[in-house]
Amino acid sequence: MKFRCEREQLVEALGTAGRAVSSRGGSLPVLAGLRLELAGNQLTVTGSDLDLTISAQIEVAGDADGVAVIPSKLVADVVRAMEPGAVQVTVAEGDAEIAAGRSDFTLRTIPAEEFPQIAGAEGDAVTLDAEQFADALKQVVPAASSDDSRPILTGVLLAAEPAGLRLVATDSYRLAVRDLPGTTVLDEGQQVLVPSRALSELARLLSAGGAVTLRLGEREASFDVDGVVLTTRLIEGDFPNYRGLIPESHPNSLTINRSELLDAVRRVRLLAQESTPVRLSMSPDGLELIAMTQDVGQAHEALDAAYDGDELTVAFNPDYLLNGIDVSAGDEIRLETVDALKPAVLRTVGDDDFLYLLMPVRVS
Amino acid sequence: MLGRFFSILGSGAVGFSFVTILDRLPLVHRTKREDRDDRDADRPGDGADDCPGAEPCGAVALALQIHEAVPDQPPAQSADEDREECQDPRENWWRGRGHAGRRSRVGSHAQSVRAQRGPADIVSACRHTGEVVDGTTDRTARRSILHVDMDAFYASVELLRRPELRGRPVIVGGSGLRGVVAAASYEARAYGIRSAMPSVRARRLCPHAVFLPGDHAHYGEVSSRVMNIFRSFTHLVEPLSLDEAFLDVSGARRLQGDAVTIANRIRGRVADEEGLPCSVGVATTKFLAKLASQRAKPRPAMTGPVPGVGVMVIRPGTELDFLHPLPVDALWGVGPATHERLTRLGVDTVGDLAALPLDAAIAALGEASGRHLHALANAVDDRAVVPDQQAKSVSHEETFASDIHDPEHLEREAVRQADAVSRRLRKNDKQGRTISLKVRFPDFRTITRSITLDQPTDSGRVIAHEAKRLLASVDTSPGVRLLGVGVAGLGVEGARQLQFGDIDDGETVWDDAERAVDEIRDRFGSGSIGPATLAVGGELRVKRQGDQQWGPDDGPGTDTTQT
Repeated sequence: MKFRCEREQLVEALGTAGRAVSSRGGSLPVLAGLRLELAGNQLTVTGSDLDLTISAQIEVAGDADGVAVIPSKLVADVVRAMEPGAVQVTVAEGDAEIAAGRSDFTLRTIPAEEFPQIAGAEGDAVTLDAEQFADALKQVVPAASSDDSRPILTGVLLAAEPAGLRLVATDSYRLAVRDLPGTTVLDEGQQVLVPSRALSELARLLSAGGAVTLRLGEREASFDVDGVVLTTRLIEGDFPNYRGLIPESHPNSLTINRSELLDAVRRVRLLAQESTPVRLSMSPDGLELIAMTQDVGQAHEALDAAYDGDELTVAFNPDYLLNGIDVSAGDEIRLETVDALKPAVLRTVGDDDFLYLLMPVRVS
Repeated sequence: MLGRFFSILGSGAVGFSFVTILDRLPLVHRTKREDRDDRDADRPGDGADDCPGAEPCGAVALALQIHEAVPDQPPAQSADEDREECQDPRENWWRGRGHAGRRSRVGSHAQSVRAQRGPADIVSACRHTGEVVDGTTDRTARRSILHVDMDAFYASVELLRRPELRGRPVIVGGSGLRGVVAAASYEARAYGIRSAMPSVRARRLCPHAVFLPGDHAHYGEVSSRVMNIFRSFTHLVEPLSLDEAFLDVSGARRLQGDAVTIANRIRGRVADEEGLPCSVGVATTKFLAKLASQRAKPRPAMTGPVPGVGVMVIRPGTELDFLHPLPVDALWGVGPATHERLTRLGVDTVGDLAALPLDAAIAALGEASGRHLHALANAVDDRAVVPDQQAKSVSHEETFASDIHDPEHLEREAVRQADAVSRRLRKNDKQGRTISLKVRFPDFRTITRSITLDQPTDSGRVIAHEAKRLLASVDTSPGVRLLGVGVAGLGVEGARQLQFGDIDDGETVWDDAERAVDEIRDRFGSGSIGPATLAVGGELRVKRQGDQQWGPDDGPGTDTTQT
């Protein structure tokens, strides 16, 4: 294998594919490497941890086709350290030679045949607007759990609803639901559970805009963004029935300016230490935020808000609350509550496409 | 619908419910020490050599751990009740200085006590006279610290219930092959029996001794009454374990008389109200007060216990005269390793260390340890008496009568301990985020595994689930000698992040269930209800605090409660 290309291009391809490589070192040593495959002028760089696989394709000046697996971090560091300009890569007899200007590095390669073949997802390709999809991911993915002991909750549910595609995630403390009306990805009633880690990586790729092509298969899902293909194993199992969690009616409703609330919670949170909550005291006069940590101090802040309902104080984990306010769209948001122990709903006023359900903190 | 949700969110839940009997703050125990024990345990032939089959140095079956800021501080006292009281010279033969590992640590502690019987002239002994002491010249500048230590506490409490045993050698502790002595009456000590000694050895030394199983719950009750007596003198009471406490009476002197008067009144009241003997050390620092109280203790003798002075005072201004002749390992924090390093420097006595330039001490012992020990050697110990030390972790552990190989049996034991830990957490209104599992193998190799949750918990269901997961990650094929489950990272219960799984038509199901179980147990006993997993053969085997604290008795089901 032999090719020449611009350093910047190669750095980007190695970096993108390298994000799928597990830093913790899996069971297969070959997975610490990136697989480079040259066919004509097409170079495909692939990294994988078996659950997540990312392939980046770039145009290079190809000289001799071939396949090689090179240690991921090392090759990325070496290429990044080169002088700007053209880089030449030559692989022969188990050595990869990387040369640029007067620099010349030789890296031992890993036998390429050990690299697992990752099948792409089958299924029909559906193309979505990258920006809109990225937006939806940003709202939903943070609500997924990072606790591997509850694998189901580490996934984001993609479900076909009559009105379009729905994304749902929960870590059992909060739940985020986002609808993409008019988007048809799956057959009606069909749903898949995609690991949130894969979707966080996807969100990074989507930041450039353009379009994303989805393929949702039985076991894998693939996302194709501008020459980069991200393939992920799907999580098997049944997602909790989140619909039953959303209260049907809310006696209390607070409407408030989103950025004012965001800033105020950020301030008050400074005094909500040692996992103490932030209290929201709601009355027709408005909203008062209270945080107090024993032996540390307390913070109060009053905010103008329209409140319809009984006077009520509810406490929330400030981080969960902030995240909900942060990812909600629009200028005005509405917090709907039942009582101090039941889930509260956060929505954007005049927009039913996003809902953030949040369990309170019980204060004794 | 929601049921489905539950099963997922609460995955791994066994049929659960819950427990404890806690009572009050248990025993002070230091983690650092434990770590070292673990290392020692890895060395072949060490630790277990003089106590084959016995749990070394006090199988502290459960301990509310209080992590002290001071590095490598010796036990204020752990389960092995007032071990350093044993002053029978015959103990020396097995307690040589040269021992490595745990034994010698205990040994060095005891040596310190022996060495305290130094020049009597600088120590004022006062028995109900209040004749001496307490810096009259500068009483405002100096603190008056009392260290009150119950004499052979568990044994003394048992004698109150069984007066017919008075005058006989009585041993409280585990009577099984792996049991240890928790406390020995002074009559038993005359035979060389001491706390933390393997029960097997104790039996050999004194075959006619009466062995009594420990009743931790009862000792806890008595202890809390005793502590309340202390608190009637000053609110600055820092319990170190069930049977000893520091009292700062500096502020009480004006109203209640000088420190010695207070010390004598305390002894009088504890004797009158509880019928129990105690010894009191009076000094200007905690460290010296503790040394003094040991000197005030009765001494065992074949002809019967020789009464101690009861109250021992180290006068302000005489601290160094008292301290400097002592061997250097009398200092808290001088274990075998440090002792060896100091010996190489030619430091034998506390005075030698005090005379060492601070830099040299730091060079030899490290920054923190060097500074600390150098300060102690100069009688500088400004640690205050801190009432209500907050527990940092809650744990239960158990040494099995025989090693367990069956994974399912081990899981059951993990559930049993999780159940007990969670009950104790709830009783103390605590929740913790870090769940840990401790496993000791037959070769004494000990490992701990832990996991930190994103939310603090006091739920036995959650703790058991995590403990079982940790257990699954450990290769238990060699068999398991001891298993422990603990929760650390404690915070005050009160603010609890609710989960979706908690709601069922507005009820927080598991919380309420576990609390209901607590109430049932309060009324009908801890064996009345428990995790379904623990119901074996028509019996419910739950763990109560203090069960098998000093090692297992032989035979199965010693802590079984009939359902």
